[in-house]
Amino acid sequence: MSTRVWTRREIAVLLALSAAVGLGCKKDKEAPGAGSASHAKHLSLTLDWVPEPEFGGFYAARESGAFGTHGLDVDIKPRGQGETWKLVAQHVTDFATTSADQVLIAREQGADVVAIFAVYQTSPQGIMVHKARGFSKIDDVFTNPGTLEAEDAPWLKYLLRKFPGSVVKLVSNSPGIASFLAKPELSKQCFITSEPLQALAADSDPQTFLIADAGYNPYTTVVIARGEMVRDEPETIKQMILALREGWRAYVDDPAATNAVMGKLNREMDAHTFAESARVQRALIETDATKKSALGEMTTERWQTLAQQLVDLAVIKKAPPARELFVSPLATP
Amino acid sequence: MSSTAPLRRFVASFGPPVVVLVAGMLLVELYVRWANTPIYLVPRPSKVLLTLNLEREYLVAALWTTTKAALVGFGASAFSGVAIAIVLASSVWVRRALSPYTVFFQTVPIIAIAPMLSIWLAPGLKAVSACAFIVSVFPVIANTLAGLVATDPALVDLFRLYGAGRAATMFKLRFPSSLPNVFTGLRVAAGLTVIGTVVAEFLVGELGEEQGLGVVIVSASHNGHSDRVFAAVLLASALGLAMFGTVNLVGRRVLANWHASARD
Amino acid sequence: MSDASPAATPGSSVTLRGVRQVFPGGVVAVESIDLEVAAGEFVAILGPSGCGKSTLLRIIAGLDRPTAGAVTVHRPDAGRFDTAYVFQDSHLLPWRTVVSNAALPLELRGVDRARRREAATAALVKVGLGDALERYPAQLSGGMRMRVSLARAMVTDPTLLLLDEPFAALDEITRQRLDEQLRELWQSRRMTVIFVTHSTSEAVYLAERTVVLSKRPGRIVVDRTVDLPPERVAELRATAEFARETRFVYEGLERGEA
Repeated sequence: MSTRVWTRREIAVLLALSAAVGLGCKKDKEAPGAGSASHAKHLSLTLDWVPEPEFGGFYAARESGAFGTHGLDVDIKPRGQGETWKLVAQHVTDFATTSADQVLIAREQGADVVAIFAVYQTSPQGIMVHKARGFSKIDDVFTNPGTLEAEDAPWLKYLLRKFPGSVVKLVSNSPGIASFLAKPELSKQCFITSEPLQALAADSDPQTFLIADAGYNPYTTVVIARGEMVRDEPETIKQMILALREGWRAYVDDPAATNAVMGKLNREMDAHTFAESARVQRALIETDATKKSALGEMTTERWQTLAQQLVDLAVIKKAPPARELFVSPLATP
Repeated sequence: MSSTAPLRRFVASFGPPVVVLVAGMLLVELYVRWANTPIYLVPRPSKVLLTLNLEREYLVAALWTTTKAALVGFGASAFSGVAIAIVLASSVWVRRALSPYTVFFQTVPIIAIAPMLSIWLAPGLKAVSACAFIVSVFPVIANTLAGLVATDPALVDLFRLYGAGRAATMFKLRFPSSLPNVFTGLRVAAGLTVIGTVVAEFLVGELGEEQGLGVVIVSASHNGHSDRVFAAVLLASALGLAMFGTVNLVGRRVLANWHASARD
Repeated sequence: MSDASPAATPGSSVTLRGVRQVFPGGVVAVESIDLEVAAGEFVAILGPSGCGKSTLLRIIAGLDRPTAGAVTVHRPDAGRFDTAYVFQDSHLLPWRTVVSNAALPLELRGVDRARRREAATAALVKVGLGDALERYPAQLSGGMRMRVSLARAMVTDPTLLLLDEPFAALDEITRQRLDEQLRELWQSRRMTVIFVTHSTSEAVYLAERTVVLSKRPGRIVVDRTVDLPPERVAELRATAEFARETRFVYEGLERGEA
């Protein structure tokens, strides 16, 4: 079998294709904030998971025009997990979502990121177990033999500290609910807005215990920005916070249309689960505290509490002053 | 005189790479300090070494866990790989029918397979070493098979002339003649095993006391401790090197009497 | 050095009738070969490259089947029949010692370890390698390796010994030494020997009868007895009779090339 030499035409076609692909790629990489004829400020927001009701308010802000009215043109980029704070610090993206404890970790590592909006006042982080096991509180997960799939995150450290006689076997968290469905003695970390609903849809018997109820309640799905942007462009930050508030307001009140948009991007979750998830999370997003202040607001007390908890768990060495950690138009900096 | 010769040989073979390593780390240290690279991206080599020392108990325990899984996976690859190659070499039709499927081992993404494996087997050592096996068996199969079918045809004729059956030809001729290829495959498999083990630990490793280097990497990464990440990576590389080196040494011993490839 | 044992092996006789070999692709290697080799005869086969000499040898050995024609190898002794084949390269198993290599044919035939080691040792002593038994092929020179190959061929006391240009890769002195060794072995055992070679002087020195093949498709061009005394000594090569015999063979080769 001989390999013949490429004809000139084949080479030309190949070069043309490569150029087209190269140009196509180049377009995506245009730096955030690059100017164009319109007045709107171009910004990017990277999500730390796939489109789900957890991020509904962001998509609603885009779809309802809230970003536009505040002079912003925000490109929303869902991603798999990862330390999104690194992307923000390294100017790869302007905003990103992460959890409050990650903000503290990031800052201790020298990354100047600041929280500007907190979606969840109550953390949806939880542990789901099979109802058939007859557990009544989160302690049972640790005091009974079995397996727990979890990431080695600060909340897990908190719980292991709280239940020092733990007999449960710890293994890495696997994506999806396949392992949970397959093994009746498996407990698994979850977001109450996600995995338990998927398990219900698969006719399983999930029961969820919230970490927040056990005493560890960091703000979750927190939008972060670079510290330098907070200092140098306070107006942009303010408009962003206002737009996010409007977006989340719209989503909390009526999630259906935005769910349809996200459903096209995330085929793994069906429309029914989208609706259920949006319903379940309302109470975590809009609480008595936010009714008094505003959606997404954060308080110094909660940041201080979290910082101290992380110091106690030896996740960070020192608790920084809370004012360095977050921004809020309603609070005085 | 003879007492210094082995020492000199040792220095001659280990010296140069160690010098390169030290020089490399110095360069990185200087660059990182000069360019003020954030530590969450690239930790200082000096900090990494410090961490290696300070946390050695923890890290060495993790190294031992990873080593156990890697050895199990490698052992499985070595034996099954050779056995599968022998089966494939025995018949042209079996080979044609089944060889394309051995490529499956080469191409399957571990991210997809690992969670399934952790359901069938238990997560931890069993699932992790199964992943290590899947990732490293193909080179053993491919290289062994190449050696088996490329056996000197004149010798095959000789065996035929004296009425040797298929089994005798396989085990007295083809298999010994393919040993250099087997070791080539094992050398490649050694490195791949370590990679496969660490990646599998990311996905289905045990946390807690029996955690391996992969879990250390993921946890440390999650908590922003890049120095620990790199320390664990260094240890994983050392493990890979050690396994590779051992295979090499064993290969040389086995092939000492008869093969040019052993003469190095 | 002739073996006076009355159990000296008589050889197999070989008959080829109308043998024709065509390779896949249509290349005709040999065309209508008729040849009779008597028991105990020493025949040399010569011919240009590609004329089918090796093909013929393989057919006689039973390694290949001819496209047409009949090959018969007569057993002198029912059930005690062995063909041995010596290749151009010694083709030893490099992972085995010299004695283990020489014993290989007996091992494949199922002979027990003690007996085959004894036979192998004896064969190796006969070819002058008695003190190299435990060495490995990698440690031997080319000539020594070829001698092991010879010993291996002799270890089963073959009735038919086929050799395919076995000494071609060796230097002149070693080659002549091995030629003498082979002839001694033949004279002591009297098995049938068919020896393929390129070298006219080697053929004339060793054989009782020379067969010359033409270029492809190979046909027998010359088949003559070598008219030289049965005791071949090294000095023979310098004689006029030797030159005459080699010339005959050479002319046959020239005719075959035409």
